[in-house]
Amino acid sequence: MFLVHLWNYIRGYVIIIVAGRSIERFINICSKRQILLWDIVRLDAASAEMKASIRGFRLMRPAAKKSGCRVHIKKKCGLPFFLYRFKRRKGFKVGLVIFSAILMLSVSIIWDIEITGCEPEKIPEIMSVLNADNIGRGSFKLKLDPKIIAKKIALNVEQVAWVGVEIKGVKLFITIKDSIEPPVLIKNDEAFNIVAERDGLVKKVEVYAGTPRIKEGETVKKGQLLVSGKLESKNPEFGTRDVHALGKIIARTWYEESMPVSMVYTQKLKTGRTHKTVYFRFLDRRFKISGGDLPFEMYETVTEEKMISGPFGLRLPIGLIVENSSEIVEKQVELTLDEAIDVTIETAKENLNKRIPADCTVVDEMIKQYEGDSGTIYIQVIYECEEDIAGLEPATEK
Amino acid sequence: MKRGIYRIKGAGNKGKEPGESLGERLARLFEIPGEVCGNRPKVTAIGRGEVLIENFKGIMDFQSNMIRINTNNGIIKVTGEGLNIREITNEEIIIGGKISNIDYDA
Repeated sequence: MFLVHLWNYIRGYVIIIVAGRSIERFINICSKRQILLWDIVRLDAASAEMKASIRGFRLMRPAAKKSGCRVHIKKKCGLPFFLYRFKRRKGFKVGLVIFSAILMLSVSIIWDIEITGCEPEKIPEIMSVLNADNIGRGSFKLKLDPKIIAKKIALNVEQVAWVGVEIKGVKLFITIKDSIEPPVLIKNDEAFNIVAERDGLVKKVEVYAGTPRIKEGETVKKGQLLVSGKLESKNPEFGTRDVHALGKIIARTWYEESMPVSMVYTQKLKTGRTHKTVYFRFLDRRFKISGGDLPFEMYETVTEEKMISGPFGLRLPIGLIVENSSEIVEKQVELTLDEAIDVTIETAKENLNKRIPADCTVVDEMIKQYEGDSGTIYIQVIYECEEDIAGLEPATEK
Repeated sequence: MKRGIYRIKGAGNKGKEPGESLGERLARLFEIPGEVCGNRPKVTAIGRGEVLIENFKGIMDFQSNMIRINTNNGIIKVTGEGLNIREITNEEIIIGGKISNIDYDA
């Protein structure tokens, strides 16, 4: 029954009121002429209400004439009439076109890129490959060829065993399989020496293979031979054998940094004046909404991104970017000697921390103060460290 | 000429049992349901709220408490309350409403 109703609704029908003396005759003529009528209800002695299809209603005129009944429409129902209302509205048509255009456009671009299977450090690398080809959020799907993208990633990103690129809906899926780097093979039949990587005082010698040429407590210079790859037998008759020297040479090393003490310190001060710029972000493009050009010469900017999240944890590529800039003024501050020294020590330490290698541990630190030629005070910071200075070098025949 | 033949045939049939046409006799012979071959009406009452009449000729009277339908076997009168015609086509008519009687030749 539901299907019949649905069919009638789609085809469209009219509710009509037939008034006259011989409604029975009208119904009979209609049924003989293959005009389908349904839901006929007698209203009173001279009228009845019924439903008829649009086609049936058009064919009804002769029947009404013959039976002497007057027919008028009470209500038009169904899809055709519903659509007819929109036929005249121009705005509706334009809206429909715009809507379908937006829909088509929005389903034909990439909205999100998902990279799976690889270590997080590689993602920027992959993204830069994509950016080089202008592939990103908002690029057209038709222009993208997954095979070519996969090839480019495999070529330009190192240590990738396999790349799968797939476009599913409006998402670009990139699946990466990392390849395992072959281990560094130590060839035992080749002679290698251990030499010093930098100057230092040897604290501990651990030799796994080779002949040590130094003892604990000796100072070594950079490049000095520490462990020889020539293994000498205790019995001189057997001669020597070439080995791949292996070992740890822990040594004390020193790093120093000296800086002149400056009595004037430039301090950055916020003036309290701030400027707010709001951008509308769509995909990877941004459009300025409010806030004009920055009126400040020097400023610090804090960027805040507000994303709109859709249902099911979907991240929509639409959002706002708020940039809060605050004005900064540089001010020269006169410092006392103690303060100036403290500041200098801090900067020197910072510089040193950047220089020292990662595997070394700071054992001791010394701070020296001396006066230069023109009366300037210098600060020298010395770090005493312990580190492994063993460096491999192929043994050359001597 | 043709008209004459029909009249003679009609006159001949009158004497026989009503509804025993050649087609119907054939239908009985071959055990075909009667409403298929002849044009005898088939009345189907579904529950109390729906009566389906096939092979009808036309409606004679349509009131909300009584509907009379002309068929080859005479007039069928359906009485009840709030009667309406659910659907009417060339071959069948569905009557809805609260039905109390289905009478023949009334």
